[in-house]
Amino acid sequence: MSIEEQYRTRAKELLSGGAVKMVIGYGKGSNAKRRRPIFISSADEVERLVLDDACITNLSGYLVSEGLLSDEKRVAVFLRPEGIRAINILAAESQLDAEQIVIFGFDVAGNEVTALKGINVEEFSDIIDSIKEGAPEAAEEELFEKIEKMSPQERFSFWQKEFAKCIKCYACRQACPMCYCRRCIVDSNQPQWVNTSSHTLGNFEWNIVRAFHLSGRCVECGNCDRACPVNIPLRLINHRMAEEVLGAFDHFAGTSKTQEPVLASFKKDDSETFIL
Amino acid sequence: MTKILFSDKLDNCVERWKSAGLTVIGPVQRSNISTYAAIEHAAELDFSLVLPDRSIKDLFFPQSEPMLRYTIKKESIDTDECLPPSGPRIIFGARPCDASGMAIDDPLFGWDYKDEYWFQRRNETVIVTIACTKADDFCMCTSLKMAPDSTKGSDILLRPLAGNKGWQVEELTDRGREAFKTIADILQESSDPAAPLAVVEKKFDLDACVTWLQNPENFESRFWKEISMRCIGCASCTYLCPTCHCFDIQDEGDTYTGIRRKNWDSCSFALFTMHTSGHNPRSTQSARWRQRIMHKFNYFPGKFSVNSCSGCGRCSRQCPVDMGITETLQEISKLSL
Repeated sequence: MSIEEQYRTRAKELLSGGAVKMVIGYGKGSNAKRRRPIFISSADEVERLVLDDACITNLSGYLVSEGLLSDEKRVAVFLRPEGIRAINILAAESQLDAEQIVIFGFDVAGNEVTALKGINVEEFSDIIDSIKEGAPEAAEEELFEKIEKMSPQERFSFWQKEFAKCIKCYACRQACPMCYCRRCIVDSNQPQWVNTSSHTLGNFEWNIVRAFHLSGRCVECGNCDRACPVNIPLRLINHRMAEEVLGAFDHFAGTSKTQEPVLASFKKDDSETFIL
Repeated sequence: MTKILFSDKLDNCVERWKSAGLTVIGPVQRSNISTYAAIEHAAELDFSLVLPDRSIKDLFFPQSEPMLRYTIKKESIDTDECLPPSGPRIIFGARPCDASGMAIDDPLFGWDYKDEYWFQRRNETVIVTIACTKADDFCMCTSLKMAPDSTKGSDILLRPLAGNKGWQVEELTDRGREAFKTIADILQESSDPAAPLAVVEKKFDLDACVTWLQNPENFESRFWKEISMRCIGCASCTYLCPTCHCFDIQDEGDTYTGIRRKNWDSCSFALFTMHTSGHNPRSTQSARWRQRIMHKFNYFPGKFSVNSCSGCGRCSRQCPVDMGITETLQEISKLSL
């Protein structure tokens, strides 16, 4: 039985027995290459679930949709390892109760889909640890290395050129499972902390605020990068910040549901090299 | 015999237009994105694109535009109005859906007051459109009763010849004729046939959709919640749309001095309709998506007798969660059977 069939069967069992109220997974998209998030609430509909190498979007962000988990019922969700890490972070940041989440774990290597064993988030800790040990590389390693070698001025002009394309559609924010604030700081207008204008300053403000806010929280699922309609390589910024946090605090985001948020906690032996 | 502009003469045209004081703009690939931008030479233009990622709306209605500078003094306020940068322009190689999008928005920007920023740019710009010989999965002009060679909003329509040799020239407006007068001697008469147009499959029954949308009973239909459940509420669809035109006016600066700007805004955002009291009449994403569809296919045509959609398909093409107008109207078509 293919993994897709196994997971459909599992989804059917869970839904018909009432063990979960919904399965969030992938369905066919508007063309052969696309998959789209779908929400299945009835056992009769599990045939709509698709699982293949085109299932890329990290679906964990849907779990914090307003009201979804407030009835304390369980919800199942298809997640790759990054998505599972996101569940840990959301739990650690008190955004959801991990007990309510049933995981349909999978990973994709090349075009092969493999099932990840487990149901509860704790059961995936070995997989997450092995990712940390493997020191994940940036998605576009070549470009990443090129940027690393630049002088600060060159790097500044590189990002200036990239941010010039930003239209402040906030697709990066909306696609990000970690951007769950009901009211983002950029939407606050009394006082207006951040310019709403999409000009050079406004675009820098937005993208830098976001980079800092995701430091130590980003799981590098790539949702922001793929969502960006103007193709800004956002993932590179987050990867750089993740490396920074890993080096300074040995913190790899999303290893457990009790992990302390790195920038919201303090330890006496924290590295303070960057504090003047 | 038809007037033909041969591709190898295009650079001469660009030179000619530049010498005549026009800024030449066209489809280009720059910094990993395709857009319409100013060029110096014809070689910079990329005619292989089905459609640039960004629409030509940006050239008439930029994402952020200064309106006035202000200084608040003890007893008076000094203001300095900012007018749009002026100067004649020619857009060479717009797509019919983009050009028609501008024509769709004209009545809107000229309705209760005349938006000078829009009309100054409109009046100073010649739009030379190239008919489409290829389409992708997301193109839907034919569903909107338009075609790969629609002339709406264009000053000149060019029909590509086979083998990228050039284009048949169809002059549509005086503004177009004027701009092509400067290159009259470069054009040649020829009987070269035009390449076949793109075949764009009809994806939904627009009339049936409009009837369904106009039925007040469907305003509270469960359909809206189901279709928009995966919408993440970003503005990718509205900002890439050639006809979406909503904006917000913001004062940027400190207490005494600053700049008033007109910035794009989107009905996808919760903040779009948030009242000062905290009440939000469109408090859910489904209400916001319904608004977008209703506005384009019910309210806007009710006021201006034209749908606010030109069928470019960017909303679906770029959607991070594979939504868009096409799917919604396809589903409504099914509901109205």
